[in-house]
Parts: sequence; C-alpha cells; structure tokens
Amino acid sequence: MATAIVARDLTRRFGAEPAVDGLTLDVESGEVLALLGPNGAGKTTTIRLLNGVLRPDAGSSLVLGFDPVTQGDEVRRRSGVLTENAGLDDRLTALENLVLYARIRGMDGGVASRRGGELLERLGMSGRADQLVQGFSTGQRKRVALARALLHDPDVLFLDEPTSGLDPEATREVVHLIANLASEHGRTVLLCTHFLSEANRLSHRMAVLHRGRLQAVGRPEELGAELWRGLAVDLDLGGTADEHTLAILRTARGVLAAEPALDGARVRVDDRETIPVLVATLVAHEVKVFGTVPRPPTVEVVYFALQERRTR
Amino acid sequence: MSTSSAMRAVIVKDVTAVRRSKAIVLPMLIVPFLLLVVLPVFIGLAAKTVRSTSVVSFMQNLPHSVARPILDLPPREQLVVLVLGYLLAPLFLIVPLMLSSVLAADAFAGEKERRTLETMLLLPIADGPLFYAKVLAAFLPAMAISWVGFILYAIVANSVGWSSTHRVFVPTSLWLVVIFWVGPAVAALGLGVMVRVSARARTAQEANQLGGAVILPLIFLAVGQSAGLLLVTVPIALGIGAVIWVVAVWLVVRGGRRFTRDRIAERL
Repeated sequence: MATAIVARDLTRRFGAEPAVDGLTLDVESGEVLALLGPNGAGKTTTIRLLNGVLRPDAGSSLVLGFDPVTQGDEVRRRSGVLTENAGLDDRLTALENLVLYARIRGMDGGVASRRGGELLERLGMSGRADQLVQGFSTGQRKRVALARALLHDPDVLFLDEPTSGLDPEATREVVHLIANLASEHGRTVLLCTHFLSEANRLSHRMAVLHRGRLQAVGRPEELGAELWRGLAVDLDLGGTADEHTLAILRTARGVLAAEPALDGARVRVDDRETIPVLVATLVAHEVKVFGTVPRPPTVEVVYFALQERRTR
Repeated sequence: MSTSSAMRAVIVKDVTAVRRSKAIVLPMLIVPFLLLVVLPVFIGLAAKTVRSTSVVSFMQNLPHSVARPILDLPPREQLVVLVLGYLLAPLFLIVPLMLSSVLAADAFAGEKERRTLETMLLLPIADGPLFYAKVLAAFLPAMAISWVGFILYAIVANSVGWSSTHRVFVPTSLWLVVIFWVGPAVAALGLGVMVRVSARARTAQEANQLGGAVILPLIFLAVGQSAGLLLVTVPIALGIGAVIWVVAVWLVVRGGRRFTRDRIAERL
C-alpha cells in the first residue's frame, strides 16, 4: 500500500507559539486517519500545511508524492478540503457554489453541473440546489461544502468537522458517504472531528495532537495495549456477579482483573485465547455464562485515557 | 487547465457574486447615473439659459492654447461646450475610481468577511494569477460601467447642447484622453489603494472606510480642480495619466507581491 501523506518534523509557529510542532506522520492510501485533539491542538494548521496554504517553518511533507510548498497546485488539484466553516458564498446558489469553483479547478461547466446535482441529491440538498445559500442552516451549508469538496473526485480528502451542525439523519448519511469513499473508492481521508464515536466508526487509525505535538498515533487497540495490559471482556452471567464468582474469576489463569457489572462482570484477560478457558472454568463451577463480548478499546476510551495520562 | 482559464473562472465567480449584491450594485449604478446623466442634464440646461458674455473674459485669462478651442466657437455655443465638453471631464474620473474601489474592497476584504477566502486558497491556482484575476474582476466591470456611463453622458450632453451647437461636440479630444487613459489609471489607483487597505481590514465596510481616507481626498481634489483641469491640454492630460499609471501599477504590483497564501492564511 502506497503512502498518500508523509509529514516529517513538520513545524509551524505563529509568533513564538508553535501551532504544529515536529509532526511526523504517515497516512497510507485508502486509509481513514482520525486527527483528534482539543481546540487549538493544530489540526486545522496541519490541513493548511498539507495543502500548501501555509508554509512550514521547519520539516517537510509530501501529499501523493507532491511537495505542498513547491507543488501546491498539484496537491490542491488532487485534494478536496471541507473547512470547519463551510466557506460558501452567500450570494451564490448551492449549485453555483459547486460549479463556479469547479470551473476554477478546470472542470467543464456542464460536467460540474451534472455531477454537482448528483452529489447534492445524494446529500439531501437537491431541492435547494438553485436557492441562494444565504439563509441555509449550518447543516445545509456543511452538506453543500462537502459536495464541493467531492466534486472533482479527489484522491485525498481533508475533512474538518464534517458532521458538526448536522441533524442525526444527515450525520448518518454523511458518515455513510465518508465510509464508502474510503472502502469502495479507495480514497485517503484525514478526518478531524470532535465526535469520537464517528471517528471510531470511520477511521482505521487515530492520531492525537496536543498543542501541535503528536501525542500518539496508531490503531485504537494498539494504543490501548500501550495504555493497559490485556483485553477487556464483558461476561453476561444473567445478573451482577457475586463475590464467589468474582473470586473464581480473579484466580483463573490469564485473568488480570475482574469487576462486577450490571449483567455479570467485566474482566481483563491476557489475550483472546483466555476467553474459552475462562468460560470453561466458570461452567465447571456451575456458574451460568450467557455470553461473552470482547471490548477492544475504542477511539473514545483511548483518547480520554491519553488526555488523562497527559494531565497526570 | 491553463492559468488564463482559471483566472477567467475566478473573474466569472467574482462578477456573478457581485451582481447578486444589491448593496454593491445599486450604488454602482446610481452614482454614475447621477454624475453622468442627471448632472449634465441640469448643468447643460442651466448653461443654455445663462448669457455667455462672462465666458469670454474668463477664457481670456487662460493660456491661449487652452482658451482658443472655446473662443473660436460661436458665442451661443461657448458656455454649453465649456461646461459639457470640458468642465465635467474631470468629474467623470470619480466614477471609475469609486467603482474599482468598491469592487476591490468586496473582492479582497469581502472574501475575508464572508469567510470564503480560505476556499479560494484551497484551489489549484497560484498566488499571482489568483491575485491578478481578482484585480481584473474589480477593474473590468468598473471600466465597463464607466464607459457605458460615458456613452450615456455623450448622448445626454450632445442632446442637451444640440439646440445651441447643432453638432456633436462630445467627446472632445480631452474627453477621449480622460476616458481611455486617465480613467483606467484612476481605476487602477483605487484598486491599488484598496488592495493594500484590504490586507489590514477585516470587512469590506472597514476597507471602504480605511480606503475612503485615501480616496476621498483624491475625489475632492478632482472636483476642486475641475475648473483648473481646463488648463490641461491633451499632452498634459496624457502626462498626468502616465504619472497616475506609474503609481497605480506600483501599488498593485506591490500588493501582488504581498498576496501570498501563507501571509493571508496566517491571519485567517
């Protein structure tokens, strides 16, 4: 798998304050990487650096093999960016906001209009295609801006808060669309979001920024393994585990910890192989086991654990 | 995709957006209409009703080369031709200056205000072509409206003066220099000033206010010197135009050098 985005020691300061500080990151082609962090972490600056809108003070980057500093137009020709504020011109209609910008990209007006219409329809905005954007809600603007980011069929997508301001139905449609873009169309997506469940659903890996520095990058389970030993497993025992059952669990081979839960117990085991052995042990002690659910660490759990570790 | 096609597309986008804004379009049509249609009708009619005996004594104080084209005319034509053919020519300069300033403020500070500037910066068009496309998006409509306004002015002036002159006396050679040489230079000057001002302003209104501090004195100078410009012969008008062009081009080129994505994005 080729690498779509490469950043090496990428640094950009505003005054004395570093907005992005020594960022080293690889994003593979077709991968969805969630770039997470609180406000001011450097996510938007990273997108601007990778699109050649800002120049780095130090370090370098490549997007699809092009250097954003010297080959910015080549990068921008192949990338689609959804900015945090939709960036639509209120004086133009939804379709004009797509077509007029597509023509600056070199697209034929007719092709842009047809494809723009299809995308607006897919995003539930076809009824408003010919209306001025002025008066559109945040969610409607976001959908039009997303259509614009996709119009020229980019290889790399930079999405800054794609679902903020959307209602649940539109959120589901947008999340579905982004998932499809990566899985079916093989597009690389750099997703900046505050919605961690959305990041969990969409991304293959997560990168956490704090004050411009990369705190962690990897798959949630990899990062989870660095934070905690073993794998969390929920045991459905038909009711909260009693002390006797907990004692069995805690002394079983491969179990690192066991806590009571509403339907049974949550245990932390060495690895997946321990689970059937544990079930057999419980059954041997005449404890009924209705089900076991491994709970690999989610983006949300890992993110907050990282934040907690940082503040400790 | 050639750079010129991308620039054309930027101009189309900017002009399409401006055409939808009543706050910009109305003053852009009303001010030229008042200056180039209504004002000459009233002044021309007033000039026809006034006895022109004082024109001769006034003109005799002027250099011979300037006064002769007026004094050579039959007395009944002198005042009408003096007012409509010469006196209003410098006033015309207000039109391209105002139009280009308003359009430039909208194209640069306005994009910032509407938060659409970053969208432009994310397009595959280099800094220079993007800047000059936006400059042209302000300059071309400003000149188009000015020239259409002048055609209307010529129709009005010749119609109003017809009963006295029985001939087409506008445009004079001085008018042609003003329209095709000094006018575009003044429009470029307004642009150059507004480009500089817009880099600091956060809204188009703020840019207009800041730019007004520079442009208004120029307007007053133009109005105040209307009579004085009568002293200008065609070669001097060409010279004045050349000086304005030099300053305007310097301002615009300097503005273009400072128009870089990095510098703009730093302030977003």
